[in-house]
Amino acid sequence: MVIQALSFSLFALVAVASGVMVITARNPVHSVLFLILAFFNAAGLFVLMGAEFLAMILVIVYVGAVAVLFLFVVMMLDINFARMRQGLLRYVPIGAAIGLILMAELVLIITSWIGAPDGAQTRPMPPISEMSNTEALGRILYTDYVYLFQASGMVLLVAMVGAIVLTLRQRGGVRRQTIGTQVARTKAESVEVVKVRTGSGV
Amino acid sequence: MTSIPLMPALPEIWLAAAGMALLMIGVFRGDKHTRSLSWLSVLVLLVAVFLVINGASGRTVAFGGQFVTDAFAIFVKVLVLLGSAVSIVLALDYIEREDMGRFEYPVLIVLATLGMLVMVSANDLITLYLGLELQSLALYVVAAFQRDRIRSTEAGLKYFVLGALSSGMLLYGCSLIYGSTGATGFEAIAQAVADNEGAASIGLVFGIVFLAAGLAFKVSAVPFHMWTPDVYEGAPTPVTALFAIAPKAAAIALFVRVMIGPFGELVIDWRPILIAISIGSMGLGAVAAINQTNIKRLLAYSSIGNMGYALVGLAAGTESGIRGVLIYMAIYLVMTAGSFAVVLSMRQGGKMVEGISDLAGLSKTHPAMALAFAIFLFSLAGIPPLAGFFGKLYVFLAAVEAGLYPLAVIGVLASVVGAYYYLRIIKIMYFDEAKEPLDKDAIGRSIGTVQAVSAILILLFFVWPSPVLTSAAMAARALFPA
Amino acid sequence: MLHAAPVFLPLLGAIIAGFFGRLIGDRGSQLVTCGCMVLAAITGAYVFYDVALMGHTRTVEIASWIVSGSFDVTWSVRLDALSATMIGMISLVACMIHIYSCGYMAHDASIPRFMAYLSLFTFFMLMLVSADNFVQLFFGWEGVGLASYLLIGFWYHKPSANAAAIKAFIVNRVGDFGFALGIFAVFMVYDSVGFDAVFAATPGKVGTTINFLGWNFDTLTTICLLLFIGAMGKSAQLGLHTWLPDAMEGPTPVSALIHAATMVTAGVFMVCRLSPMFEYAPTALAVVTVVGASTAIFAATVGLTQYDIKRVIAYSTCSQLGYMFFAAGVSAYSAAMFHLITHAFFKALLFLGAGSVIHAMSDEQDMRKMGGIWKLIPVTYALMWIGNLALAGVPPFAGFFSKDIMLEAAYAAHSGVGMYAFVMGTFAALLTAFYSWRLLFLTFHGAPRADHHTMEHVHESPQIMLAPLYVLAIGAVIAGFALNGLFVGDGRASFWGNAIFVLPDHDTVEHAHHVPLWVKLAPTVAAVLGISGAYLAYIVSPEMPGRMIEAFRGIWLFLYNKWYFDELYDFLFVRPAFWLGRGLWKGGDGAVIDGLGPDGIAATTIAAARRAGRLQTGYVYHYAFAMLIGVVILASFYLYRMGR
Repeated sequence: MVIQALSFSLFALVAVASGVMVITARNPVHSVLFLILAFFNAAGLFVLMGAEFLAMILVIVYVGAVAVLFLFVVMMLDINFARMRQGLLRYVPIGAAIGLILMAELVLIITSWIGAPDGAQTRPMPPISEMSNTEALGRILYTDYVYLFQASGMVLLVAMVGAIVLTLRQRGGVRRQTIGTQVARTKAESVEVVKVRTGSGV
Repeated sequence: MTSIPLMPALPEIWLAAAGMALLMIGVFRGDKHTRSLSWLSVLVLLVAVFLVINGASGRTVAFGGQFVTDAFAIFVKVLVLLGSAVSIVLALDYIEREDMGRFEYPVLIVLATLGMLVMVSANDLITLYLGLELQSLALYVVAAFQRDRIRSTEAGLKYFVLGALSSGMLLYGCSLIYGSTGATGFEAIAQAVADNEGAASIGLVFGIVFLAAGLAFKVSAVPFHMWTPDVYEGAPTPVTALFAIAPKAAAIALFVRVMIGPFGELVIDWRPILIAISIGSMGLGAVAAINQTNIKRLLAYSSIGNMGYALVGLAAGTESGIRGVLIYMAIYLVMTAGSFAVVLSMRQGGKMVEGISDLAGLSKTHPAMALAFAIFLFSLAGIPPLAGFFGKLYVFLAAVEAGLYPLAVIGVLASVVGAYYYLRIIKIMYFDEAKEPLDKDAIGRSIGTVQAVSAILILLFFVWPSPVLTSAAMAARALFPA
Repeated sequence: MLHAAPVFLPLLGAIIAGFFGRLIGDRGSQLVTCGCMVLAAITGAYVFYDVALMGHTRTVEIASWIVSGSFDVTWSVRLDALSATMIGMISLVACMIHIYSCGYMAHDASIPRFMAYLSLFTFFMLMLVSADNFVQLFFGWEGVGLASYLLIGFWYHKPSANAAAIKAFIVNRVGDFGFALGIFAVFMVYDSVGFDAVFAATPGKVGTTINFLGWNFDTLTTICLLLFIGAMGKSAQLGLHTWLPDAMEGPTPVSALIHAATMVTAGVFMVCRLSPMFEYAPTALAVVTVVGASTAIFAATVGLTQYDIKRVIAYSTCSQLGYMFFAAGVSAYSAAMFHLITHAFFKALLFLGAGSVIHAMSDEQDMRKMGGIWKLIPVTYALMWIGNLALAGVPPFAGFFSKDIMLEAAYAAHSGVGMYAFVMGTFAALLTAFYSWRLLFLTFHGAPRADHHTMEHVHESPQIMLAPLYVLAIGAVIAGFALNGLFVGDGRASFWGNAIFVLPDHDTVEHAHHVPLWVKLAPTVAAVLGISGAYLAYIVSPEMPGRMIEAFRGIWLFLYNKWYFDELYDFLFVRPAFWLGRGLWKGGDGAVIDGLGPDGIAATTIAAARRAGRLQTGYVYHYAFAMLIGVVILASFYLYRMGR
């Protein structure tokens, strides 16, 4: 138990600290790296809760794909973050004030928290010995939550269509290889026999 | 294994399947067939209307309580589907002329409409969020659809960034609610609230505040409205028309369902939020539009104001209040569709124009269109006997019944002030001399039809209002089980 | 169904002429609308006979309109003596004016539109008078406002017509605001908007109070005053009168129909219709009396100095409406209705006669450029005499009977306000006679002041314009003694039945028959004095008015500029609506009349608009900030509330 409590504190602390670093780091590349660190720690927290599937997904998808993509974007786009921040400095006082008020209010809520009557365990996790985490998720995902699952699928489809619509361009003047047409060419249309007159060239 | 009944969600399933089929057709047939694909999408939406109307009329809960359909859902779904269909029709000519003729446009609208239906039928916080995101994501994309025009992409980006912020608030609210009640299903939340004898814990109230903030963003109520004028102005005009029509109805419906369903017993607790945002919206909508020179921006403020009036009915929190909201939305949709049909016909020398002053002398160059627009504007201003007056009448009456006299008085005042800028447009159309008249051939047949039909509906509402009134009454009753 | 016919026939005509005007042409639309109106006038006369004379009161339900909980409104035609009288009068006068318009507007470019508007107006007016509940009343009320707006601005290429149309619309909105609040209050207090239910419950509401924002108001007084504000707007009473003179920018038949005979009397009709409520609100009645009497004298003094022939008649209308209101205010509702009917005849006659003069003078309206034409257009001249005699109250013309009974009732009320009304009314009668004959002498007598080009063209109007004038002239002559017995004489109790309600100790019409002889003679003497005065000033020594103007230049300017300081009165009487109107009225300082544009509202809101616009910076993070601030404010509010 002690180890669990300790690792929770460690993961949580690092996650929050790296979250702060994401928005304060001067170098945008560092920001993204801290973001990756935050993801790792979140994955650790998931493992502590026994949700190893989610943990792995988080690492694979967010760290492996999303964050790396971010990294590429940040490195390729030449954005002067320092200058962007300058304008923001003017709003620090009011921003800080609002942040503080919100923070104070949230602290008040947490201290006077009245949790749900039976805890948040409306759907208890099956013990790991009976069923793996992945299987348990799969069992409810395609039955009880099939509606939501399909709806998420539609969301992803829209995202995909949207990305293509907004970015894919047909550039003129680009030569593309289309194997079909290449193969389908006949001799008649591609070879021309020319009689070359002496001394004049082709 | 128990089988999962799919029939209650038939319209949604149909839209999803048909949307994907349309996408496939588009991919294989290419952008040249955008027009026929648009008509096909309209057909798909109309079939969905048919499915909605012929579905179960009573309250049916499906998918383990995540999905609900009842008279309320049917009413709003019909509005949403028709609104989307009309906005596709309005876009037909525009997207061809203005270099937007890509087949994804109608497909994205169909998918956005699917999201709206999911919202309207939401009976669970997760469904609510997914529907909202499905809708919003498609709308972000269409806002930026003219990707080579900086204003369009700016609009899309602004909408996206602020929309993400509002989604964050909404999700935060959902998690607070879940934490306080231990449930995401609306019935379970209502049960948890009832077990607590209607006394809300502070966490729950904060959850409702954040949730309401997220939803207020979607209906563009003050102070979550800031995106509206910029996005309305920047987005391509048919997209603006779409934004002002169907999503507003869906978002208001969702707002109503969440507030009345799980939190019906906490009406005393959430009413101040509604009163505050509704007064703010009515006031801003009335005042800020006065200085506008761009007709789309003016209509943006007008829609903010109109949402304020609709929220008056929700603030009442009674059955007649909800009925007022539904009637108001039905009328608002028709007026807005007609107004945008006019705006979409504004061309000078082959180019779209958006200035209010470009309407000068419209009554001489396009008498029929000027008359139609005048009808919409008089109706928006709330002049009896046009439909807009009755929309306001019902929500204000509901507010008075609920004892919210100051709200009703402020609403009446705001509508008097707001009448000014509507009448100003009429004055410009009828009494100012045209500098450069609008093109004669700008009104396509489909747009002209939308103008004419909307104008007739607005004019004749008071003669035969009972179809709307009775179905709205039924819909409102569905939310208040005796 | 026959009883509903006069109400809906004009609508039929308006629809046909309005939507198919191009199809059926100018002549066709004239025929259709006039045909519908003739039928309406015939059925209207039948309704008057059957309902008012035979006493078959009834309510014809057309359809259910709005049903919402206890809020139940039906489309119906309520027929009792009051509405039947109005239906008879309106359909007859409107019919005459439709026919007259065929001649007057013969050279206009858009005849179908004009005829359609005119018929539409008639429909709304009939809807108003036949209403069975407040909502239908409001429907007709707003409908006539809309039609009036369209008709005043009919010649939309004239900037002054546009300005006048907008002004009429906005000033009426001020009144309508009070009216709408009044209806809300009625529903709030009575839980019903049907007349029968409200009237039945009224005696029980005496002495109750409404609590609004912590203040207690007497229920009936508040409701009646709010409703009366609406009446003031529509009937152009002091404070909200400013739109009426400007409304003369519309075509003359419009002035005759809307701004003399029908629409402007809607306020009087409403007060009479709601007599069961007003009777229990003595404070409101006192206000009605004072406003009416003040308007009567105010408009009469202004009428003395105007030069535009139609404006003189417009001020005269304003003044006569004041008479009707003070009569209603002293509970002599039947006398007010009596004057309403007689006034409709002779004022429509005067307006149409003026139209005939204008027609003859090649569209000249300034009386300084007329004169000496009585031999050229003798028929019009004679008809104008009849109209003026009736207006001045010379026996035995129509106005004599109705004006007499109103003044006597005011005297017989034996109250302070009644006496005020009597004195003001009698003095106004003198002024009325004076300016009427001033108009007559300036227009028809003296040396011709128009250029010879115009004078050559002076001609009598065609028969189609004169025929309606004959009908109205007959009305102006005989309506008085024909209706005297029924309306205010011995037959009145059985005639009015339940349509008008008067508390027994308020029965001033009864007392009016027992006043001293000098009271009975006073109006006639005033009229004769006024006529003689005008004769002296404009025929015997035509240079006298000029000298008078020089001698009393201050007073003359004061009157010529319509008293300058109308807002003072508004401040006293329109207090509930005033804070709405503030933006409007402040805009017009010295020259009140011109300041009343839409600019007023704009001035107060434009600053706010600019501020709101400045918030819209275009920066995403500003918007995000605004959202966060909104959430924080809402959250803090709840925290504060729960902490308490």
